[in-house]
Amino acid sequence: MRGATLAVAVLLSFAVAAAAGAEPLAGAQLFVRPDKGNCAACHQVSDPAAPKTRSDVGPRLEGARMRAIGRDRLRALLTDPMANNPDTLMPPFGRHRILDASEIDRVVDYLDALP
Amino acid sequence: MRCPEAIRAALAACALAGTAALAAPADVKGEVDARLHAELPSLETRDYALGSAAFDEDLRAREAAHADAAKPVLAKGAALWKRRFKDGHTLAACFPNGGRRIAVAYPQYHPRLKLVFTLEMAINQCLKAHHEALLDYDGADMAAITAYVRSLSNGYRVAVRVPARAQAHFENGRRMYFSRLGQRNFACASCHIVAAGKRYADVPLSPAVGQAARWPFVRGDEVLTLQAQIRACLERMGAAPFPAGSGELNDLEYFLTYLSNGLPIRANAWRP
Repeated sequence: MRGATLAVAVLLSFAVAAAAGAEPLAGAQLFVRPDKGNCAACHQVSDPAAPKTRSDVGPRLEGARMRAIGRDRLRALLTDPMANNPDTLMPPFGRHRILDASEIDRVVDYLDALP
Repeated sequence: MRCPEAIRAALAACALAGTAALAAPADVKGEVDARLHAELPSLETRDYALGSAAFDEDLRAREAAHADAAKPVLAKGAALWKRRFKDGHTLAACFPNGGRRIAVAYPQYHPRLKLVFTLEMAINQCLKAHHEALLDYDGADMAAITAYVRSLSNGYRVAVRVPARAQAHFENGRRMYFSRLGQRNFACASCHIVAAGKRYADVPLSPAVGQAARWPFVRGDEVLTLQAQIRACLERMGAAPFPAGSGELNDLEYFLTYLSNGLPIRANAWRP
């Protein structure tokens, strides 16, 4: 029993170490992953490295437009777009905990840096 | 003490008021039709039955190229439909015309059970009456049988009725269709009315009108019934899907099918 308990503890410590060492997803990854922002499902984006898509539920996202909106407003829109427009189809990524605050920041960084 | 006539009349008036407060199904359908025609002015009424393929020539071409994709599942469904029970009866004999043209009228309101009765429930009712094992609503055998039975109605127009007694179920389906659900906060209407015809994950979003004329789909060996598609979509939205055959999904199917009234059934199209 003591040996089994020790083995479980060792395995758990490896798992924790692995999780702690895992690289956080970059904004570009958060933008496309279906289990994260999945933004590419609705938006085309002016990133030549992004997967090519004809998705058009939302507007095409261009760097100049993102910078005109500004980082603070982008952060607010991603956190709860319904606060700005109750009829929006955009998911409330922050309010519904689809993305956490640091993930939203990384998506904002990605959008702000678009060509 | 006997209930005074005045109170009985007031209760009756309340019941009528409750019914009158529900929007008439024909009016709801009219509003949805008008909204979709305004959003999709170039889409012919008959093409609503094409679903996503109405907006994608390549998908239409691939559907046509895979026109025989459903043959194996239809053969399986036909065999199950005609299989002799222990008492010598068959599923086919439980339904008028051997099942031809019956799918146009399902789901329907069952006045004695006071609930929406789907084709799958009717199939299980027949099995139960003949002491045969019931089929799982989301099982492969049930899907094959419904694929076959709906193929017997191909080309015939959807004709679902919503009598006054069933309006609450219709309204329940309507309310669910327009309610935001799940982590992603989408309503069915978000994609299939507001964004109908636009591309989500590169695939055109089918309009609400026509969705119930166009099931099941066949993807490889898998038959995707309307409720299976709804459940998969609910999962993608981050919502816990209602079980297949649940009252919620039956009411939703009832509402959706009524919206497709007048459109020809086009069952068993191939999907990638």
